[in-house]
Amino acid sequence: MRNDTRGYVTNEGGDMTEEDSNLMDTARLWMIRVNEPDFDNWDGLSAWLEADPRHLAAYETALDEDAWAAGLVVGESRPVPFARSPAPARPALSRRRALLAGAIAATLAGVGTWSVMGHRPAGTEIVTAPGEHMSVALSDGTRIALNGGTAISYDPEHPRRVTVERGEALFEVHHDTATPFVVMAGDTRLIDAGTVFNVVRDGDALEVAVAEGAVIYDAARQPIRLEPGDALVRPDGSARPQLRKADPASIGSWREGLRQYDNAMLATVARDLSRSVGKPIHLAPGAERIRYSGTLAIEGSAKDIMARVGPLLGVTITEGADAWEMMPADAAPR
Amino acid sequence: MRVVRDSALSQVRAGYPGATPDADAESARRTEAMPLPGTEGEQQISGLQGVVINERSRLMRFLAARGAGDEAEDMLHELWQRVSTAAGHPIADPMSYLFRAAENLMRDVRRSNLSRERRQFDWHETAPTAEEEPLGERVLIARERLRAVDAVLEQLGPRVARIFRRYRIEGISQITIAQELGISLSSVEKDLQKAYRAVAQLKAKFDAE
Repeated sequence: MRNDTRGYVTNEGGDMTEEDSNLMDTARLWMIRVNEPDFDNWDGLSAWLEADPRHLAAYETALDEDAWAAGLVVGESRPVPFARSPAPARPALSRRRALLAGAIAATLAGVGTWSVMGHRPAGTEIVTAPGEHMSVALSDGTRIALNGGTAISYDPEHPRRVTVERGEALFEVHHDTATPFVVMAGDTRLIDAGTVFNVVRDGDALEVAVAEGAVIYDAARQPIRLEPGDALVRPDGSARPQLRKADPASIGSWREGLRQYDNAMLATVARDLSRSVGKPIHLAPGAERIRYSGTLAIEGSAKDIMARVGPLLGVTITEGADAWEMMPADAAPR
Repeated sequence: MRVVRDSALSQVRAGYPGATPDADAESARRTEAMPLPGTEGEQQISGLQGVVINERSRLMRFLAARGAGDEAEDMLHELWQRVSTAAGHPIADPMSYLFRAAENLMRDVRRSNLSRERRQFDWHETAPTAEEEPLGERVLIARERLRAVDAVLEQLGPRVARIFRRYRIEGISQITIAQELGISLSSVEKDLQKAYRAVAQLKAKFDAE
């Protein structure tokens, strides 16, 4: 590492010595380098961290400073910054690499600044791994926050028409009366009218909750207009949609790792959790009758999440090779 | 709660492929079905997981140094699970990908620990937490601070301010910025370092308020 900070005088924290200040500069340089997508000196980072226990603390401080700065920027439009950075997006096909680079950089930086994705090949698909959050900025100013286990696609020629293939996404639509923004979920069209709204798609099952503005749900002959605080739930493709109330302030709170439920079926909770933990969650007989009201904190490792939510949901959770299983806590142990 | 770990992981934890506790017949039975790295198998062990097994010591060293300490094994387990879901796509540089995933994992863990501490702390506080403050107020505070950051960066010179904005706000990579401005990558790093130093001073000031 270079050290080009000799003689620099700082008053950070009030009583910082010059040595501390140099340490922080070095730590920040590591942070700056690590946050570049093509950083590859990982063994060098290991060695530096091992050299002195203060190095890790300084590095974490540098990351906090970076997150703080990014939080201000995100705070301009929404007060709660993204601050998750799980597994990087899969740099799958080479044609996706360039477009993902920005997103990865943002995700990696610990806070999701919106990455601008202007020039993309036709039929762009954006996929998140379970537990991964990603934010996408479309060229028209619309922002989409993707929860884990989610896939969306759109044609860059027509960026105001986005398809939710599966999973959950929060849309902050840049409203344009002349060109309404359309979200497709199967055959269902959701048309914005100046909007922040959340969409969950699981096969034909669909949930839409509106935080601001309005959305027009257009699947049946009779379109349904959803206002802030309205939630529409359609258990499957043929079922009639049911309208419920949602707390506008809590819509999209999954971005902060929080989930709010009001008398929700355990199957719904399990579906939401599986987007974070990466494996399907099966319900043992008896568990499907459990209902839950309250808030769950869904962050940290899959193990942490399950350890925390099990007692709250009143279930015992076991991990198998391909799935998790929830059984009522009062059932006989295996 | 009894958590059943998957068999592939027990290999990772045991330190090398094929190692299984003799007493654990169930685990041994499963292990027979596990391919060794480099062999063709129908098992769902991804190429990345093979790399995790092969490069276990480097990853463990990184995780331990990066703050996992004694829990590096648990973190490696978590990493193993995360990369298992990323199977099926070729990855140009698996080692960098794994280290990146490990770095992200440690950031996640720390963030989750911090917010848990904060929640526990807030439990005893009667004053509204940042999350409970009215939305409009938070936006105003954030804007005011952003203006302060802008002002401080401008004092450092237009190039520093521009580089920081391009990098941190617009998400442009450092190498691209260097090319745009026709300067070296290390000049970009130096300017970013200056910017972050100033941002840190502001953050300390705001935190003290």
